[in-house]
Amino acid sequence: MVRSAIASATLALALGVGLPAAQAQEKVVTIGAHMPLTGSLARSGQTFNEGMQVALRMCNAASPKVQVKVDVIDDESTPAKAVSAVEKLASSGSVAIIGGYGSNIVGPASDASDKLGKVYITAGAVSDELTQRGLKTFFRINNNAGYQKGIATLLIDLKPQAVSIIASTKEAPTLLAQGLEKDLAAKGIKVTVHKFDPAITDFKPIINKIKLQDKPDIIMMSAYENDYVGIIRAAKVLKPQVKLMVGTWSLATPKMYTEFPDLMNNVVGTSFLPFPVEVKSEEGRKFAAAYQDMYKKEIEYLATLSFVETTLLCEAIQRAAEAGTLDKGGLADEMRKTDRDTMLGRVQFDQTGDNPNFALSMGQHREGKIVLVSPKAAATGDIAYPAVPW
Amino acid sequence: MSDTASSRLLSGRSLAMAGGLVVVGLLPLAAGASPYMLGLLISSLILAGLGLSWALLGNLGGMVSFGHAAFFGVGSYASALLAAKLGVPVLLAIPLAGGVATLSSLAMLPALRLSGPYFALAILAYAQIFRILATEASWLTGGAAGLQRFPGLPTVFGFNFAERHGSYVLVLGMVVLCALIYVVIRRSYVGIALRAIAESEDATRVVGVNSTLLKTWMLMLSAFIAGMFGALNAHIIGFLEPDYAFSGIWSVMPIIGAVFGGYRSVIGPVFGAVVIYMFDQVIAKSLIPVGHQILLGIVLAGMVLLAPNGLAGLVGRIFSRTGGKHHARA
Repeated sequence: MVRSAIASATLALALGVGLPAAQAQEKVVTIGAHMPLTGSLARSGQTFNEGMQVALRMCNAASPKVQVKVDVIDDESTPAKAVSAVEKLASSGSVAIIGGYGSNIVGPASDASDKLGKVYITAGAVSDELTQRGLKTFFRINNNAGYQKGIATLLIDLKPQAVSIIASTKEAPTLLAQGLEKDLAAKGIKVTVHKFDPAITDFKPIINKIKLQDKPDIIMMSAYENDYVGIIRAAKVLKPQVKLMVGTWSLATPKMYTEFPDLMNNVVGTSFLPFPVEVKSEEGRKFAAAYQDMYKKEIEYLATLSFVETTLLCEAIQRAAEAGTLDKGGLADEMRKTDRDTMLGRVQFDQTGDNPNFALSMGQHREGKIVLVSPKAAATGDIAYPAVPW
Repeated sequence: MSDTASSRLLSGRSLAMAGGLVVVGLLPLAAGASPYMLGLLISSLILAGLGLSWALLGNLGGMVSFGHAAFFGVGSYASALLAAKLGVPVLLAIPLAGGVATLSSLAMLPALRLSGPYFALAILAYAQIFRILATEASWLTGGAAGLQRFPGLPTVFGFNFAERHGSYVLVLGMVVLCALIYVVIRRSYVGIALRAIAESEDATRVVGVNSTLLKTWMLMLSAFIAGMFGALNAHIIGFLEPDYAFSGIWSVMPIIGAVFGGYRSVIGPVFGAVVIYMFDQVIAKSLIPVGHQILLGIVLAGMVLLAPNGLAGLVGRIFSRTGGKHHARA
């Protein structure tokens, strides 16, 4: 009893002496994040959160002097709650904010952040208007132009006579469809756009119209996960004479193949990683290993986006802290100095806060694997064309 | 209107209630509430105003609406477009937007022939129609991409309404004003007739009341109020898209707030909306950061079971019991 008391006292004394010394060397900086952890976008928000946590673990390990921790608030996919979250995070000492998912959320939240003088970074909002507001503290790593460029490159290389675009009336898919229509029409490709309300689940009327009227070589889906499943299922029933099914976000992922193996084979979507994951960079390999360690699964698209944005922010914070400008509004300047290769390619921020280098590859589902097929420089294999899931 | 009539419509009790509402409403400012807390209160007051417009229609005329998002959304877009494209001052655009929402309610006049769940479903369908119109009329509304660049609330005589404190005072003032309008109508002969219509429309018609006309007026007034709060919300948030402006939240939350607070009273929808929103965002969210809505559901279910007349009814019951005991002692 006495012996254990002495041992405890010795330990407490040792810790008491050691702690101030450690604290003197280590500066802890808090950042805030608002994510849709519940609601219709919960899956995306949770994956974003995972990528962010891994990035902070790696960033803190690389720079022990400045430790960055994050407070996460569920914005419930609601603009007013996202604004409240930003105000709460700023008032509790966060030096910067990592944004949520969707331009309708990111727009008002980044506006509030700018008014409070806090740097705001996002990887989940592609609207062009976001970077036209003249905000000095707004940064993003991806944009509509990058998605458009990736898809247009593939489609133009395949030289189809006609393309039918099935586009959700939600903001990002609409913007993408409009951009693609222009790009493809400029190359002499006949393009027909079929808009649909996000509430629609039966796509057979649209597919039937495409089959009988458009008779395209390629069907392009500018939509979200549930829409892809509905569209491909309808196409599998009606079997239009097309050569390829192409989609966008969150389509060329291992999860989609695992859940819908009968629908995904040969389908193409935006991606930057093949599967099984083959990461060429050292940073990518470390990220994949840490992600596997923390979440027991392979890295995926949204987690990688989140990883990159968080890493860039964390590094800028550490640079500003070491330069002593973090408390003097120096973080935005450090963000603007960003110029580095990431898992998304080179990232820089222009005057509007946008990343002009953003462009994506296209990946094709092949019997449970994902092969990067476009652009040629990033390809890990040839495209299977013509090839459809049925 | 004679002095007697006006004093009957706006009695000392009503004015005291309005004064009390203002005093209670200004307490957060006096206590130095943070922008975060004021932001939450502003959101709750927007719902309170919308709840008032919903309760006005339900209580005076017996029309249960599941589609107030239509008026809210039309008001949002009208104000943003008036301010952005025609350069109308924002504080003028807000009541004008209420007027546009009122005009949009005229499209719903055929639905006034319906009652009960049929009216509720018809108005729900109208809300969907307006959402689709806002999506398709991209030349005007920006379509699915929405509107992001339109003026926010202005600064008037050095008082910045765009700041949290200014926005809060403006929204609070609007809620109090709308509550007073509700009280005046409720106490007028028109209000008595409308409440009679809510009980039995056929019986009211028999005694010569033009129920269709009165219900039309109530629908228009309700749309006006909902449109103004939609406009206010748009200028405070600074972003609009069809899915947000016409979201089902704007139809459901006012009902929840009004039922929780007691939709039969004037004060009930206001307190109901503020209490449930603040409970959800401040207490429930701090206890369960993800999935806190479950607590809100439990509280709502408990309230409906234990106090069917809502918060206002519960408070009234407690006061009457206390008063009764005092009388008994005396």
